[in-house]
Amino acid sequence: MSLTPHPSLPRLAKRWCWTFLLLIATSGTLAAAELEVSEARLRLLPGDLPAAGYFTLTNASEKGVTLTGADSLAFGNVMMHRTVNQDGVTRMQRVEQLVLQAGEQVEFAPGDYHLMLMKRTRNLAIGDDIEVTLRFANGQQQSVTFRAVSSTTQ
Amino acid sequence: MARWIIPVVASLWLVGCGEQAWQTKDISGLMPPLEFELIDENGNDVTADQFIGKSTLLFFGFTHCPDVCPTTLARLDAATQRMDEATRDDIQVLFVSVDPRRDDPETLRTYTDAFGPQFIGLTGDKAALDELTRRYRVTYGYGEEDSDGNYDVSHSSAVFAFNDQGEVRLLIRDSDPMDAVVADLERLASGA
Repeated sequence: MSLTPHPSLPRLAKRWCWTFLLLIATSGTLAAAELEVSEARLRLLPGDLPAAGYFTLTNASEKGVTLTGADSLAFGNVMMHRTVNQDGVTRMQRVEQLVLQAGEQVEFAPGDYHLMLMKRTRNLAIGDDIEVTLRFANGQQQSVTFRAVSSTTQ
Repeated sequence: MARWIIPVVASLWLVGCGEQAWQTKDISGLMPPLEFELIDENGNDVTADQFIGKSTLLFFGFTHCPDVCPTTLARLDAATQRMDEATRDDIQVLFVSVDPRRDDPETLRTYTDAFGPQFIGLTGDKAALDELTRRYRVTYGYGEEDSDGNYDVSHSSAVFAFNDQGEVRLLIRDSDPMDAVVADLERLASGA
């Protein structure tokens, strides 16, 4: 299917058609720019023990977004978790999705929300940059570079 | 001399004389002294007596724990890094894995080495772990296994601190300010 407006359309209609196509083509990019990720770091443990991914996600757009998960070529399995502490007992809770209203910020931080990254597909060292893709309910994706940090990083 | 100086000096002097207060949670006398029979990270049977002589920090966890266990251990590492070497050498951290199925001595050794020489990994069979956790009134449990065989382990989040005689002194939490942890550990290492 060709994206060129049909030659028989009047000129004004053609112009509208082009504008519409342009909007469709750029909407994904525009939305991605409105999600900001900072302080992305990945705390490694020795061997193939699961790593923790931490970052701050800001929804600077005018609409709510729903984070549904993440994946990375460097890991076989990535899950969203939250550490919960109840009566002095701590455990991890799986997080299926996380809604960020317009303008809202969420911190993935030690003792709270975190990515649990398991089954390394290659050797990783402290200082490496590791690409992780964040996935959202509307099909949007955002690629984020995480810096690998040592086990003793707080 | 300004009028306010006298009460200020007097109160400082009184504070100096009085018993210094712990800044994290004081549990002296509320828990029994350090006692256990476990396996260390070299595969040897060990008892608590072998760890008397240094201040001991006891923490329950598991190595397949990406978030809270390394966070707690990293905090203890950061606290001891702020001390002079002699004080640091007087403190040992016993990381007791409540997940012996996955945490064999070798895994434990590699894990604790990532945090520093003062970190020692211990574990044991269910009977030994049950006895130790009951002694300090903490619980642990296993979550459901997923298709990859991975499972979560619930465990207590606080660190128990004992003096060099194995007498219980403190309960240290991740929410305690770092300055408070450093001050208390230095005081503990000085023999309090």
